Amino acid sequence: MADGIELEVEGLTRRYSPQVTVGPISFEVRAGEFFSLLGPSGCGKTTTLRCIAGFETLNAGVIRLHGERLDDKPPHRRDVGLVFQNYALFPHLSVFDNVAFGLKLRRVAKAEIIERVGRILRLVDLSALADRFPAQLSGGQQQRVAIARSLVLEPSILMFDEPLSNLDFKLRIQMRDELKSLQRRLGKTTIYVTHDQTEALALSDRIAVLSHGHIEQIGTPDEIYERPTTSFVAEFIGSSNLLPAMIVERRGREVIVETERGLRLRSAGDDDAAADGAEVAVLIRPERIQIKASGAEGTPGHNRFPARIVAVTYLGDDLRLDLELAGSQVLQGALKNAGAARDWAPAQLVDILVDPADLRLLRR
Amino acid sequence: MRGRAPWLILPVVGAVYIGLLAPLAVVVGVSFGPSAAFAFPPTGFTLHWFAEFFASDAYVRSFFRVSLVVGLLAGAIATLFGTAAAVGLVRFRFAGREAIETFFLAPLLVPEILLAAALYLLYARLAVQASIWTLLCGHLVICTPYVVRSVIAGLVGMDPRLEEAAMSLGATRVQAFFKVTRPLLRSSLLSGAIFAFIISFSDINLALFLSGPQSTNLPVHIFSQIQWQGDPTIAAASTLQILIIGLLILIVQRIFRLRLLV
Amino acid sequence: MASDPTPGFEVGPQLESGSTVRAPPVWAFLTGPYALFLVFLLIVPLANVALFSIHRYSPTRVALPELTFDNYRKIADLYYLRLFARTLRLGLITTLICALLGYPLAYWLARTRPRLQAVGLFLLIMPLMVSAVIRVFGWIVILGRKGLVNEALAALGLEPVRLLYTDTAVVIGLVNVFLPFMALPLMVAIERIPSNLEEAAQNLGANWHQMFRRIILPLSLPGLISGSLLVYSISISAFVTPALMGNSRERMAAQQIYDEVLVSFNWPSASSLALTLVLLTLALAFSALYVTRRAGRLERGR
Repeated sequence: MADGIELEVEGLTRRYSPQVTVGPISFEVRAGEFFSLLGPSGCGKTTTLRCIAGFETLNAGVIRLHGERLDDKPPHRRDVGLVFQNYALFPHLSVFDNVAFGLKLRRVAKAEIIERVGRILRLVDLSALADRFPAQLSGGQQQRVAIARSLVLEPSILMFDEPLSNLDFKLRIQMRDELKSLQRRLGKTTIYVTHDQTEALALSDRIAVLSHGHIEQIGTPDEIYERPTTSFVAEFIGSSNLLPAMIVERRGREVIVETERGLRLRSAGDDDAAADGAEVAVLIRPERIQIKASGAEGTPGHNRFPARIVAVTYLGDDLRLDLELAGSQVLQGALKNAGAARDWAPAQLVDILVDPADLRLLRR
Repeated sequence: MRGRAPWLILPVVGAVYIGLLAPLAVVVGVSFGPSAAFAFPPTGFTLHWFAEFFASDAYVRSFFRVSLVVGLLAGAIATLFGTAAAVGLVRFRFAGREAIETFFLAPLLVPEILLAAALYLLYARLAVQASIWTLLCGHLVICTPYVVRSVIAGLVGMDPRLEEAAMSLGATRVQAFFKVTRPLLRSSLLSGAIFAFIISFSDINLALFLSGPQSTNLPVHIFSQIQWQGDPTIAAASTLQILIIGLLILIVQRIFRLRLLV
Repeated sequence: MASDPTPGFEVGPQLESGSTVRAPPVWAFLTGPYALFLVFLLIVPLANVALFSIHRYSPTRVALPELTFDNYRKIADLYYLRLFARTLRLGLITTLICALLGYPLAYWLARTRPRLQAVGLFLLIMPLMVSAVIRVFGWIVILGRKGLVNEALAALGLEPVRLLYTDTAVVIGLVNVFLPFMALPLMVAIERIPSNLEEAAQNLGANWHQMFRRIILPLSLPGLISGSLLVYSISISAFVTPALMGNSRERMAAQQIYDEVLVSFNWPSASSLALTLVLLTLALAFSALYVTRRAGRLERGR
């Protein structure tokens, strides 16, 4: 087994019915890495997590931890910690007893329990609440207890099942940052399941994007965002404009495509996604669209074409513009709510500029 | 099964169910067998004892003229009283409402032997003869709480705004109740009614005290037959009761949540 | 009248100022009939029993218009003490066995697939609704001198065992009849325990037994208590089962009451016995409530 690989999932398959199958799913998680499983509901991410934890049995495939088979062990004998979505704190035990639960089961000496629990509680900043009961805690505090409870057992891998989805927006951001710094500090290999792509992008070292029971793409946040390999990934992560088009010419490293509406665009062409097929989808991220007054100066070499502003949506820090091109194609643009951008209004005629390097070509 | 319970649980559960159902299975088996000595498993198949049942005046009267009649009357009247009471409790606010609700469900807490003896003594003091009517009154006491409980559950589970919506469309209070609430209550009402019937039909404790010579219900007759060492006609009578009640419980389970009634 | 925040509720027709006549509220019409009925057929009979219990018994006139506590004092007699002791003892044994058998049953019902649960519930509740006589009759066939058990023993060449008309038979009958009353509240209590608590415990290293002991048991305690209370109360006042499966000399309280009402017509004595039984049940209920409240404190905020 290669060095640094903590967990290996190979061909994991879970069949619920002839129509509903998750898998085969394969991926590796490296030691100390923050690895996310990202996807919409029903994509199989939670199933995968539960298979690793042992609450679902595999119909096919193998899971290995440190090279040893994991999937033939019962759930209480797997060295993986799981932080549940609703925290699953034991309501009849105090915070201290919740955290000490696993230690007591392993017959750890009382003095050592007190020491280890105390240390963990200090780490998650809950020492003052050790004698309280879960019902008396806020959502964020409950979550920290859940984390402490798993961490104190020093598992090889810590897993999270959508831990932030029950928290309100501001708290979610705060807990997200705390989680990240905690993971960095401890260097604990982490698997994180979420449907929120912002979370995944902010927290992860690598992300596996799932859809309909299989993996669409695995990569770093940068890779997933900048170089999605499928239109699902392109649309699920961030906002996107996807234009159906055809490759008409290749000039060295450049690829020239023509959209269905007759718009010709130049792509810088370091995608192998469009290597073979002539039919592609052109991905343009809204924030990569530059908007200038008709005829105003712009960077030569950039794609440039006219458009008319149809609507401006005010989002506080952002402005979203709906831009209509010739042929009734509508593109979404995104600008920061600052400077000249604030002057744009519907019915204005503008020029759109897009750097060829900001065009991605995806298989259709 | 969710969660990994030890394999030991299933055999234990199975054994418990076998223990629970064994007496019923034995009774049914004996009723179809030819042996007059209650042999089980039955050595043959015969409807002889059922024929004996229908041929016996005592059995037939206790079944048709007492158990069935009292059961149907109890079911109907309990449903009437109980539904009205439940609607009054849930849809209105008044002082002492919770106390009255407890009062209405109190018969469920009184040991049947006490209630039976108490009713008997009251009838004796008032010099009232035992008859179908005295039995009926006794049954109403223990049956109505089931209707009340069932209809309360049905009402509580129903959105009161539906009635409001009807009234905003022009219905009066009463019309709204009959056109909106009552149909929605149908399942809880019916379940309560069926349960009231079952309770009356299978009652033995009250009937032992309140039965007269002309108003012996089936369970009491079976009781005396057991004491006097009767023949397997007892089993036939029992099987009939089991079938009827089993069927009714199945119906209740289909139309409503069974567990709420017990 | 304070405005009622919940629509659909009325507290009676609106008054015009100055009017002194008010129609009786609708709720009175709805709840009145049943309330009256209960007063006459529940409260009055019970009061009557209480009255009888403090009158003096006479063989010729049943009850003399003379107040006395003799009927209650009589309970201190050896015969009655033994009677209640046996009744309470058998009730306790029944409750314990029901708890032991009820737990696995309740756990299975609570955690199994909905379809299986429906079947399981049906098979549990159906025997409950069939008259107790019938179930007891079945047991008599099974346990009788020429019954199934003895036939099986005879086939194995063993001596027949006298099972019927003993305390053992009574307990078997009582457990058989009242087990659902233990299993159902337990099932409801276990259902309320989220199954992710079980998974969390397993993930932290607990095998099933440890998980059951540390999570399920403490959290289902209220269900256990209410089930036990129910089973105990109804088994100490059971009549049909001990009457048919026990014997007349070693009887339970309900048999004595039946006898004194319908055979010896000693109604004062019967009344005092019946009320004593109720008082014992109430005392038990209150102590169980007290224990439940303390156990409820363990759950914190449920």
